[in-house]
Amino acid sequence: MQRFFNRFFSFRASFTLVVFIALLIFFGIFSADHSFFKAANLTAMTRLAPDLGLVALGVGLLMIAGEFDLSVASTIPLSSFVFVKLLSWGTPLIFCLLVTFFAGALVGFLNGMIVTKTKLPSFIVTLGTMLFWRGLVYAASRMMPIGIRAWLDFGSWIEKMFVGSVFGVIPVQILWLLFFAIVLGFLLHFNKFGNWVYVTGDNVTAARAMGVNTDGVKITCYMIVGFLCAFMGMMQNIRIESFAANQGVGFELKAIASSVVGGTVLSGGIGSIPGIFLGTLTIHIIENGLILMGAPPFGISAFIGAAIIIFAVLNVAAARVSGK
Amino acid sequence: MSDQKFPAAKKASIKSAKKDAPIVRMVDIDKWFGKVCALRNIDFHVNQAEIVGLVGDNGAGKSTLIKVLSGFHRADKGEIFFEGNRVNFNSPKDAKRLGIETVYQEQALAPHVSIARNVFMGREPTRGLGFMDRKKMDEESMGAITKLGLRIKDPEAVVEALSGGQRQGVAIARVLYFEAKLVILDEPIIALSVKESQQVLGFTQQLKAQGISVIFITHNIFHVFQVADRFFILSHGEALADVKKEDTNIDHLIELIVSGTLEKM
Repeated sequence: MQRFFNRFFSFRASFTLVVFIALLIFFGIFSADHSFFKAANLTAMTRLAPDLGLVALGVGLLMIAGEFDLSVASTIPLSSFVFVKLLSWGTPLIFCLLVTFFAGALVGFLNGMIVTKTKLPSFIVTLGTMLFWRGLVYAASRMMPIGIRAWLDFGSWIEKMFVGSVFGVIPVQILWLLFFAIVLGFLLHFNKFGNWVYVTGDNVTAARAMGVNTDGVKITCYMIVGFLCAFMGMMQNIRIESFAANQGVGFELKAIASSVVGGTVLSGGIGSIPGIFLGTLTIHIIENGLILMGAPPFGISAFIGAAIIIFAVLNVAAARVSGK
Repeated sequence: MSDQKFPAAKKASIKSAKKDAPIVRMVDIDKWFGKVCALRNIDFHVNQAEIVGLVGDNGAGKSTLIKVLSGFHRADKGEIFFEGNRVNFNSPKDAKRLGIETVYQEQALAPHVSIARNVFMGREPTRGLGFMDRKKMDEESMGAITKLGLRIKDPEAVVEALSGGQRQGVAIARVLYFEAKLVILDEPIIALSVKESQQVLGFTQQLKAQGISVIFITHNIFHVFQVADRFFILSHGEALADVKKEDTNIDHLIELIVSGTLEKM
């Protein structure tokens, strides 16, 4: 048990956890009327935070493998658009779901193929694919929202699955985020695939020399990102009961920010799922808490920006202190 | 053991040589890169449990010779025998399969990953569904490291936290664990302190003690004189000398290297 805790804190997320708890206390005390901890606010946070969280889990995993994916900002509305189109054609719900998952994973697969085969920096490649898919989605939708209520009855199973709540109080979104964090956490930290992710990001030459299929690892990570974007795109779509062309805008950098706040390093090979999970929640509570404290909503990004830099510095310092 | 792999008729001729057959023998090797001759008429061998110092200046052909031996390059002329049997290496995998492992200095390890995970990189033992047998990884990586005479307590420590000598030890422990018969060390102590160098020289002797042959590549004769049983000196793609330690001394070797190099100039 002792060793478990040592291991846990050797992940660079230990600082994030401490700051996360400190922020909870701070906002709890200083938000007007302690509204931060009111049930309504907690419900709203646990319903909304998973949007970014799901994407951040995938993007963070990919960053540990040494690559970026900016195209998430377009994979999200693309998936949402595919979903709403399938609905409008009267496709059985189960196929709407599966085909949308497939579309997301396919976008990821293409990103992965282009990155590994051209050996170009993934930052450039996915900047290209982000603009490409965005253009297609904008053109196809003419940027008009498409409501889902014409084709989807209230209370269908897909609605319960994505936007329901458990015991009437816990939004299902936060449970999905936990679920994927646990699955990906086990995969990254205990499975041999996870070891390949780390060594691919840490020293790709060594990994290849030892027989790790580094291209395959990267492509798989891109597909996981694509799948999670599809999941989140549908989840958000059903919550707002509509496709919206601006879904996912800005998520590409926020997802990277979440990962960095959670101790992931831009050069790859370092990071953890608990860290990314905490990182995305931290970003969300900073936003939420500051608004509750009366900060001007349009100025929030200044605080987020400062937080990213402070966390990056803290994480490096933490690494030095623990000697790891 | 490997006798079983060959039919009886073939065995007779091999067997006589087999007892003391060198682990590896390269005969009359030529290698050209375009119009540049990188190796000319090289006869090179390594005996069982022998440490051979492969010495030569930069560009002498050391790396080319090793790359031919480890399957990265194909020789333009000549033959390679492994344990007395003729072999053809089409890729590094072929050489690895026979137990020829190369330890490169900087390319071998992932610095931010634990020792155990590095030792088993790409060959992780699992307990089903791809989940790693971490207990086995911890215990056996420590076992292999201890066999080298290296003391590290925590298999979960990241490689970055180790000294240069210890890192070499981890890389060598990995090939040791996967049953290498011939370990090629490419400039293993070039960037190390005196103390760490001694540590790595100790590893090579441990390998020898376990019956494993070692090729120690270096451009500095002083690095290898202490541990090598034999010295193979290359200059401009040709063999300058192949001498046993008991037939030479360090002054003689330096003279050989210097005069050989001068002649060629």
